[in-house]
Amino acid sequence: MGHRAVSRVAIVGIGNSRFGRRTDVNIGELAFESIKQAIDDSGVDRKDISNVVVGSMGSWSEESLPAVVVNEYAGLSGVGTMRVEAACASGSAALKSAYNSILSGEGDIAMAVGVEKMTEVDSSTTVELIGRAGSYTWEFENYGMTFPGYYALYAVAHMSRFGTTEEDMARVAVKAHHYGAMNPLAQFQKEITLEKALGSQVVAWPLKLYDACPLTDGSAAVVLASEEVAKKLTDTPVWIKGVGYSSDSANMSRRGSYVGLEAAVRAARSAYAMAKVTPGDIDVATAHDCFTIAELMAYEDLGFCKKGEAASMIREGQTEIGGKIPVNLDGGLKAKGHPIGATGVSMAVEITKQLRGEAGRHQAPIRNGVGLVHNIGGTGHYAYVTILSRS
Amino acid sequence: MSEPPSLHSRREITLRFDIPISKTREFWASLKNGKFMTTKCSKCGCVSFPPQADCPRCMSGESQWVDLGGDATLVTFTHIRLTPASFAKSEPYTIAIGEFAGGVKVLAWLEGVEPEDAKPGIRLRVEPRISAEGTPYYAFVRA
Repeated sequence: MGHRAVSRVAIVGIGNSRFGRRTDVNIGELAFESIKQAIDDSGVDRKDISNVVVGSMGSWSEESLPAVVVNEYAGLSGVGTMRVEAACASGSAALKSAYNSILSGEGDIAMAVGVEKMTEVDSSTTVELIGRAGSYTWEFENYGMTFPGYYALYAVAHMSRFGTTEEDMARVAVKAHHYGAMNPLAQFQKEITLEKALGSQVVAWPLKLYDACPLTDGSAAVVLASEEVAKKLTDTPVWIKGVGYSSDSANMSRRGSYVGLEAAVRAARSAYAMAKVTPGDIDVATAHDCFTIAELMAYEDLGFCKKGEAASMIREGQTEIGGKIPVNLDGGLKAKGHPIGATGVSMAVEITKQLRGEAGRHQAPIRNGVGLVHNIGGTGHYAYVTILSRS
Repeated sequence: MSEPPSLHSRREITLRFDIPISKTREFWASLKNGKFMTTKCSKCGCVSFPPQADCPRCMSGESQWVDLGGDATLVTFTHIRLTPASFAKSEPYTIAIGEFAGGVKVLAWLEGVEPEDAKPGIRLRVEPRISAEGTPYYAFVRA
């Protein structure tokens, strides 16, 4: 371990399991699918990996210590490791932690793994556990808040303030399914109509079933390397140019506003400043669309449009291929699926594929070689924005 | 397509929490007497809701209880149709965030108002309640 200064870190290997109801595999087997792909893709030797950071929320699957279970199955026991939690942004937190370990000079190669098994308990228990992700005593014990309920509070405020409609939100779901149908790893590979989305069951008005992402099993992994090592390993390194992160109150009642996520605005500002890019430089992005309203707010929070103009962006197709900034071309959380801890890593995998030009049918045109990952934990409790670049 | 085989675990656990409330006992005690109280820092004057003994702004441990009054304005709301498993016996309910004078906001059920009649800006009052399970809580009603 040479503790020398490292200035740049690249993604040199990527892996992503098939997302969906994966009752065919346990957590170690599921993570292995991504770990093996990422290691093969990078060409690194496992013994050269100094650190494996595992993003996983857990509590709905049987293993209490997923990091060591995952490492043991993949023959990685002995490596420096930990599990990190930033709710639905745990994957981005794992990526940041692995990135920082290389920057610090403690090792040249690290891996971020995200994994979640959400279908081992009955779905109503999982839904209840997710609904407790706020301030338990003040929001759940007496009031039975649900996760769709929290985002519905944002939706009503956004509709009331800016005239955003239920149709605008449904358009986000239609777009997600359109691209999900092109992604062989997605949970839902089927187009839907606006009518079908609008006619689906109301879960927390104004949000309906088709405004919500599903419960998903899945894993993703990325291998990171210092500049010196990355250049030896690959001709197509994808550099981590900017990482911004922030947080907000546990209690929804303590948020400053309900028409956007202030933590995401702060995270984006930091990431843009570090990467020295502006929203106009972004070729392609993933946005955390746990609910359709969340994707609309992300357009505004990331500066892809002005505050209150997200509905126009989706109506005009500005976030589709051929538009101003294509968003969630892998189907997003809505159609690809949302295995909580895996999502942030899977987003980094998707943007890496896009920047390498390997996204196949859902490839975005790449002009500046810059992509963005927007990953939110809870209801804006945690926010991570990561900017990736070919140069 | 048949489900793949699985080991159906026989080891079941139940989690039920005993949540300490000694530092916010005054809130629940005064709620019983029809008052809606919260904490105000004795040093910097910061008013917090939910109440907390230690000031999040200046970190002072000296606080006093102040009456928030009952009047609030609806900021946003939702109508929960799909309730969590532990609320399976509840009818669908409406949850609102109301803002009090001075800017303190509170999340609670909105009772006695049809979801179609709720909208940001309407005037609310907060009232103490006893749940069907016998526990004290507070709810918004239309003012």
